[in-house]
Amino acid sequence: METALLFLFSFLVSVAALSEPNGQADQDGKEKKMDPFVYDYESLRIGGLAFAVVVFILGVLLILSRRCSCSFNQKAKAPGDEEAQAVNLIASKAEEAPKAET
Amino acid sequence: MGYGRSDSYRVATTQENKDVKEKPKAKGADLEELKKEVPLTEHKMSIEEVCQKHNTDIVQGLTNAKAAEFLIRDGPNALTPPPTTPEWVKFCRQLFGGFSVLLWIGAILCFLAYAIQAATEDEPAGDNLYLGIVLSAVVIITGCFSYFQEAKSSKIMESFKNMVPQQALVIREGEKLQINAEEVVAGDLVEVKGGDRIPADLRVVSAHGCKVDNSSLTGESEPQNRSPECTNDNPLETRNIAFFSTNCVEGTARGIVISTGDRTTMGRIATLASGLDTGKTPIAKEIEHFIHIITGVAVFLGISFFILSIVLGYSWLEAVIFLIGIIVANVPEGLLATVTVCLTLTAKRMAKKNCLVKNLEAVETLGSTSTICSDKTGTLTQNRMTVAHMWFDNQIHEADTTEDQSGASFDKSSETWVALARVAALCNRASFKANQESLPILKRDVAGDASESALLKCIELSCGGVKAMREKNKKVAEIPFNSTNKYQLSVHETEDENDNRYLLVMKGAPERILDRSTTIMVQGKEQPMDEELKEAFQNAYLELGGLGERVLGFCHALLPEDQFPKGFAFDCDDVNFPTENLCFLGLMSMIDPPRAAVPDAVGKCRSAGIKVIMVTGDHPITAKAIAKGVGIISEGNETVEDIAARLNIPVSQVNPRDAKACVIHGSDLKDLSQDQMDDLLKNHTEIVFARTSPQQKLIIVEGCQRLGAIVAVTGDGVNDSPALKKADIGVAMGISGSDVSKQAADMILLDDNFASIVTGVEEGRLIFDNLKKSIAYTLTSNIPEITPFLFFIIVNIPLPLGTITILCIDLGTDMVPAISLAYEIAESDIMKRQPRNPARDKLVNERLISIAYGQIGMIQALGGFFAYFVIMAENGFLPSRLVGIRLYWDDRSNNDLEDSYGQQWTYEQRKIVEFTCHTAFFVSIVVVQWADVIVCKTRRNSVFQQGMRNKILIFGLFEETALAAFLSYCPGMDVALRMYPLKPSWWFCAFPYSFLIFVYDEIRKLILRRHPGGWVEKETYY
Repeated sequence: METALLFLFSFLVSVAALSEPNGQADQDGKEKKMDPFVYDYESLRIGGLAFAVVVFILGVLLILSRRCSCSFNQKAKAPGDEEAQAVNLIASKAEEAPKAET
Repeated sequence: MGYGRSDSYRVATTQENKDVKEKPKAKGADLEELKKEVPLTEHKMSIEEVCQKHNTDIVQGLTNAKAAEFLIRDGPNALTPPPTTPEWVKFCRQLFGGFSVLLWIGAILCFLAYAIQAATEDEPAGDNLYLGIVLSAVVIITGCFSYFQEAKSSKIMESFKNMVPQQALVIREGEKLQINAEEVVAGDLVEVKGGDRIPADLRVVSAHGCKVDNSSLTGESEPQNRSPECTNDNPLETRNIAFFSTNCVEGTARGIVISTGDRTTMGRIATLASGLDTGKTPIAKEIEHFIHIITGVAVFLGISFFILSIVLGYSWLEAVIFLIGIIVANVPEGLLATVTVCLTLTAKRMAKKNCLVKNLEAVETLGSTSTICSDKTGTLTQNRMTVAHMWFDNQIHEADTTEDQSGASFDKSSETWVALARVAALCNRASFKANQESLPILKRDVAGDASESALLKCIELSCGGVKAMREKNKKVAEIPFNSTNKYQLSVHETEDENDNRYLLVMKGAPERILDRSTTIMVQGKEQPMDEELKEAFQNAYLELGGLGERVLGFCHALLPEDQFPKGFAFDCDDVNFPTENLCFLGLMSMIDPPRAAVPDAVGKCRSAGIKVIMVTGDHPITAKAIAKGVGIISEGNETVEDIAARLNIPVSQVNPRDAKACVIHGSDLKDLSQDQMDDLLKNHTEIVFARTSPQQKLIIVEGCQRLGAIVAVTGDGVNDSPALKKADIGVAMGISGSDVSKQAADMILLDDNFASIVTGVEEGRLIFDNLKKSIAYTLTSNIPEITPFLFFIIVNIPLPLGTITILCIDLGTDMVPAISLAYEIAESDIMKRQPRNPARDKLVNERLISIAYGQIGMIQALGGFFAYFVIMAENGFLPSRLVGIRLYWDDRSNNDLEDSYGQQWTYEQRKIVEFTCHTAFFVSIVVVQWADVIVCKTRRNSVFQQGMRNKILIFGLFEETALAAFLSYCPGMDVALRMYPLKPSWWFCAFPYSFLIFVYDEIRKLILRRHPGGWVEKETYY
């Protein structure tokens, strides 16, 4: 269940991170704030991409985390080996996974 | 196609066997013929008759002219390889099998639609063209993937060929000639000696101590004697026939060739094994059924909306384009790849657990298996003779037969045991091969026959130093074992330097040994053999024999010094010393003991509802004893014969229905009709087939399959190969298995351990469940993908979701979560339930479609439309304005379309809003798919019971979100894929729907668990 919580939590954090640049843009660019018909798509793009990167890295970290005895439940270790293999196949992060395995 | 279909070559997720029916009938008849027993009669004829039959001469052999004539008539003495399928045909089978066909049809329809559009419109939308191209690409890529996965085509014939001898020594016109084995013809007089491969099926005419190793044919590892007399009606068992490609171990023999090439017994097995058609795998059938359902739904939707659009006043061509669009939208583009990857992952996981799967579809087959036909030798047993019991001091002692010597030991302090061990060590011609001191005793190689090796190892283990013992007691004379004496004898010096007497030791058939003994040793003291002891001996002998063990008796005598002084010349041919009035020591009995893990594995198969049948070439008594030992005949279950013996009535009076177990002899099996066979398989739960021929093994497998069972066959010998091939899944042994059996099998147990099969069953059942989940997940998003198009047609709104975005979902965001479901752990103990019923428990059924399409999918579509209408409204197009706007909206020349507030929109501006809506719809589907993947994790349990331990799944959630964000926000996407950045608030439109899906399904599953067998379960449990 921790993982589920962690997932939700990290999602909220990322959303907060995402909305930040927009907020800043709104406050800084006064003209834009005045004009309701122009939207700051530039910051939105950057924020969105940052969000995508953060989420992706989080996902990858989550899979590689099985070797660290961090907050994750120990039971997950048994299927861990198989998962490592899936990483090889699914993501192209193949290099890290076997290292972690040995 | 006929024999071309030989290679057990199957497509990753599909099956190609459409050509089975085209198989020429003649070939079918041939195979039927091959399934019958070997029609040999020569063993019953006299040598003269055989000579007459084959026009040959017993001394001179064939004349060269006749040999040449026969060679032309019969063809060369070689196995004909079946016509091989060219590689490109195999590749095409991968490309156009089952599931791929669906995608191909989709692609062709797309191109067709594009062609219609191109012909009728000035600037046709490229969507259909792109879709067609992507569909073709998907099929080709997955086709290549599965092709390379299974590139190892079956090479059954090649492996048979390796067994064929190269040269043969024949006698023609009275002269010995060394010729190529291929040129040997029927009627040739052939000479073989120890170490040779037999060049053809021979009728032995004379033999000197000839022993052949028939293990490849019968599975019996013990070399057998060959002599000119007919000893059995069964050609496989009689002594006077030697078979093509078996090994002559020692001695020499001369025989007349009675058949060559494909007509030999081995040739028949080879042709049978390579010519058999293997049906579709269970998973291929399931996928076919799934395709039927999907096609049904697609065609139904397509046709109804075709009619609807005609009614609504569209033109014929437009309606046809809609029809094609709807049908194509129903094709789950990503599913083929998902299923292939899921199966591959499971195959890899099984390989780690020592089950090497040769073709992907076989991964699931073990899970559906309801009957396992197992060979005995080497699979259930250790394939090494081991001393199991001893009888001395009027008591039966048990020896340790476990592989790791963990079993109990017996009392070794008795004087009798010392004497017995000495006789067993001395009267024994087996010896360890050199340079093996570092190996554990049981692993060392031994030169000598199986029972002597067993004795040697047993003595080495319990007393040690057999070599030293033999050096101290030098052998001065020896009479080797022969079948008339039935004993083996040797004379040795004694260990004691001062004792000049000779020690005579003898071992052999117990009754013969007893006849030669007048005294018996009890607790180290010689006692006269009285009636009481004789009866004790008889009881012990019967008991050990009843355990299926091979019993040997031992005796010795110290020869009196006055008659046999030191240096006495013992003459073994003209025996000049006493071989009677000896002192009986005891009995030792040997068996090929079961492997340690087997009883447990058999028990697990039982509790998983799998029937385990033993099929062996061994004798019924031994087979029954091993079957009892490993639990194939469970404790307390009796055969008809047991009941008869217990009640003391003749066998014929016992009701066969009372006996759950039965042991069937191969010769009885031969006379059974098909109905009797079915009856037998149906009414007995525990069956042992003994003395079976390779053809009978095949018949047994076919019998089980006829009763609807999905049959797994395990075996290691050449004789098992037809059965392995015919079985739904053939399992060969990786270490001890012959090459041929490995080629014929679908799966190889790398550790030769029957217990690995249990792992295979478990993995197979798990992947079946998980594939259901995967498919349910993938199909769900079909509804939010189709409905936009339907609404586009019916209520004329601007298109809410485009082709490109649909592809992004099917081939992008949905992929990893769908694959991750293959990693789900089982919801309940899958090894406690019955195997699935292939007729009833389908991979995809109406309930799954109803859940995916009818319930979850509908909620998802709602979520998507909500986001669509929100964005449209934010831009000024309220839903009321949207309905019926399509024609104006898509009109390029209309650049002043007014929205609900009177603002005017140009074509390009409108299109940007439309594509932003596509993006939002796409993101909404990703959001609702989050809930869907969590919901699909379980079919019955709550997510809270199952937990979120599947990290790949969590990774999938992150990955699909990241991909969605990337597609929406990456600069350049507006040009490349026409996807636009979304305001953060638009991401949240679908959240309530996502939540709704989760709650809805949790409640459904709660009711399902609370009311087992209730309406909810009947209607929604997939």
